[in-house]
Amino acid sequence: MTRSELTEFAVEEEGFKLKIRRGEFPVVSSSRPTLPPLTLPAPAPAAPAPATPAAPAAPSGDEPGITYIKSPMVGTFYRSPSPESKPFVENGAKIVENTVVCIIEAMKIMNEIQAEVKGTIVETLVENGQPVEYGQRLFKVKQG
Amino acid sequence: MIQKILIANRGEIALRIVRACRELGIKTLAVYSEADVQSLHVQLADEAICIGGPRGSDSYLRADRIISAAEIADVDAIHPGYGFLSENAKFAEQCESCNIKFIGPKSKSIKMMGDKAIAKETVRKAGVPIVPGSDGPVETEAEAVKIARKIGYPVIIKAVAGGGGRGMRIAHNDVSFAKEYHVARNEAEKAFGNGAVYIEKYIEKPRHIEFQILADSHGKVVHLGERDCSVQRRHQKLIEESPSPFLTADLRKRMGKAAVKAAQAAGYENAGTIEFLVDAKGNFYFIEMNTRIQVEHPVTEEVTGIDLIKQQIRVANGEKLDFDQSDVKFEKHAIECRINAEDPARNFAPSPGTIGLYYAPGGHGVRVDSHVYSGYTIPAYYDSMIGKLICYGSTRKVALERSYRALSEYLIRGIKTTIPLHKAIMADPTFIEGKATTAYMEDFMNRTPADLFV
Repeated sequence: MTRSELTEFAVEEEGFKLKIRRGEFPVVSSSRPTLPPLTLPAPAPAAPAPATPAAPAAPSGDEPGITYIKSPMVGTFYRSPSPESKPFVENGAKIVENTVVCIIEAMKIMNEIQAEVKGTIVETLVENGQPVEYGQRLFKVKQG
Repeated sequence: MIQKILIANRGEIALRIVRACRELGIKTLAVYSEADVQSLHVQLADEAICIGGPRGSDSYLRADRIISAAEIADVDAIHPGYGFLSENAKFAEQCESCNIKFIGPKSKSIKMMGDKAIAKETVRKAGVPIVPGSDGPVETEAEAVKIARKIGYPVIIKAVAGGGGRGMRIAHNDVSFAKEYHVARNEAEKAFGNGAVYIEKYIEKPRHIEFQILADSHGKVVHLGERDCSVQRRHQKLIEESPSPFLTADLRKRMGKAAVKAAQAAGYENAGTIEFLVDAKGNFYFIEMNTRIQVEHPVTEEVTGIDLIKQQIRVANGEKLDFDQSDVKFEKHAIECRINAEDPARNFAPSPGTIGLYYAPGGHGVRVDSHVYSGYTIPAYYDSMIGKLICYGSTRKVALERSYRALSEYLIRGIKTTIPLHKAIMADPTFIEGKATTAYMEDFMNRTPADLFV
């Protein structure tokens, strides 16, 4: 195409279409039905990284001063005391050890979860209404 | 219709349940502790939820977290395996009240058979022979001696609060009884904080022979034959086999009938086991009922061809048993060796750690039920059983020789195991002759040089 002044070239024949635009990769499409892509059995889910059995306020290993509030139970995570209220904490909120940060509902009981760490909420890691497991990270916290 | 099952257990039995569910097209949810992240069944299950820290009390025994996991994952049923919460009537009740099917008997059967005194009385009323004894604790020495004479010596004095072989004294006559009675009370008080004792006939060198029961929720109860579990160390089974080399066809028939009667008296549903002690004369006595699937269930599976875990799930689904007692055939002889991560040369000290090379035996008539693999680290928080080797054949001789052959091929590097011990037992004349009673292991360890089982 560089020898010519053409910037675009298209050819259409039965069962075959070719369109080239200078500077772009050729796109070849065929009107023949394509075979469905070969699906291999999905690989087994990767093993979750072994969780460190440390207290919720233990340092995590990424940036210094960063720790995580982890779920102490199995259940459903709720950000607010009730569907109509504001969340217990937003990103940026300052927290102390006994600040209630969320509710985890287990077997119809709403359990208030305390931060057990002093600092600032950096990020909320789970969605409202999401099922959570023991040890799952709920909030990223900057200590201090 | 059960479509998703939560497996409330770990290790080899959790893997066993995953396999049965897969074959039935049922989805599986594995709940696991932080120590079991790398466990094979956790990787193979369709879903997995972490329910706690490494200790059993912080994970597999946390009924609240297990039921919570069942609810958020929307399961239809829970299979409790063996141990942990499998015989916890309260847990079964909680499942019932949450409308989650507990794969096992009704909670009231678990409660009834969980109390040894009530269990004995229940089956006695149904005409099942029980170990003669005092009806509950004895109040005074005079009463105790009277009962001992009535039962006939030798007798065993047992702590009411004891268990697992602890808190027991044996007396062979009136003179020794007086002494042993007081020693037993004092020891019980010190060890369990409760000096109450009861008296039972002491059966010398009994065989431990148990019958597998299967009952549906439509009133049908069958037995699937016996398992001879006499080879035990400190009341922990090491080897189980079926059929028992001791039972005659007549005794098997009578014990089988008694086992069915016992299960019916308990209003039983699903799989269970009736345990008997059998003396040298062939007298048999009910000792207890296990209201769960047992470790040694593969022995019965290989002898009868019946998949017990699948049957458990079918019964839980409300299906009728699709066979009768007369359809149950005992076609093979099977022997199971429990492979433990223990060092027999150092008094069976536990040997947790990382497995290097792992090679399991195979071939005709060899079954390995194990969750371990090369590179797997055995956690230190749970029992030491890492697998079961079940060898079967058309005769006991074939099963024995096959077990020996398979044990010779079985390689587990990096930890100590009881494989060499099992090999030595397979080659031991007393065991080969079918003469092992519950006194066998102590005798074997005493007369066998340590380097033969290391």
